[in-house]
Amino acid sequence: MGDPGKDRETLIERVVSAFRARDPHGAVRTSPAWHDLDESGRVEAFDLAEKMRMMEAAIDGEGLSTTARAVLRRISSSSS
Amino acid sequence: MDDLDVHLSAIVVGDAAAFGRWLACAEAPVRASLRSFAAKVDVEAVLQEALLRTWQVAPNHKPDGRENSLLRLSKRIAKNHAIDETRRARSTPMEEESLERAVSDADVGTAATPDPFLRRWIEHCRALLAGKPAEALTARLENAGADADETLAEHLGMRLNTFLQNVTRARKQLAECLAKRKIDLETEMR
Repeated sequence: MGDPGKDRETLIERVVSAFRARDPHGAVRTSPAWHDLDESGRVEAFDLAEKMRMMEAAIDGEGLSTTARAVLRRISSSSS
Repeated sequence: MDDLDVHLSAIVVGDAAAFGRWLACAEAPVRASLRSFAAKVDVEAVLQEALLRTWQVAPNHKPDGRENSLLRLSKRIAKNHAIDETRRARSTPMEEESLERAVSDADVGTAATPDPFLRRWIEHCRALLAGKPAEALTARLENAGADADETLAEHLGMRLNTFLQNVTRARKQLAECLAKRKIDLETEMR
């Protein structure tokens, strides 16, 4: 049986990622891992994502986080 | 606080680079405005959708003369989308009181500019990362949300759980390195 603590940690790590799939209409989908977390795990993922995005933006040449880059990539793919 | 509406005239004519410059400062306050929804919705998904919608409606946006009109519009879009998602996710009647509390908490955060001192230390600490944790974090950063973790793990020759554990290790090592230099990210974000 898996370590529940590790499972929770990896679920949180997946929610922290900026990757989100799209539904058939192109809308951004909720991460499947988010559904598997309890409320405290969801809040922890929010806090971690906020810190990670700040660090990402701080070391990015244009000040963009992975979230911002995901959004810009989506904009450029829908306009081409 | 900077007025991000300086980018507005370029954004409304479809300049994606100008929208990128706006995003660099607007993302954090829009995300912070969704904090009270963190237990109810996947904020990352709501935020990305709200930022995309902001880009889509920007050409029809009429500034009201006060600063940061597009940022305020984006926060409203994000909040309304979070409310819709919260209601959609519930099969039982909505806890209106907790939702109203979340809505009233949602107007926080101001436009921020990166701190060069902080940037230097984060780069320093990231350079100290080594081995698999460094590989996993670099893959996440360089991929910037384009692919699922399964794909990133496969490219690195790692099992998915190993990849995720390496990302966690890298994040913790970064935080420890910054803490040694008395840098508290909580404080930096407020």
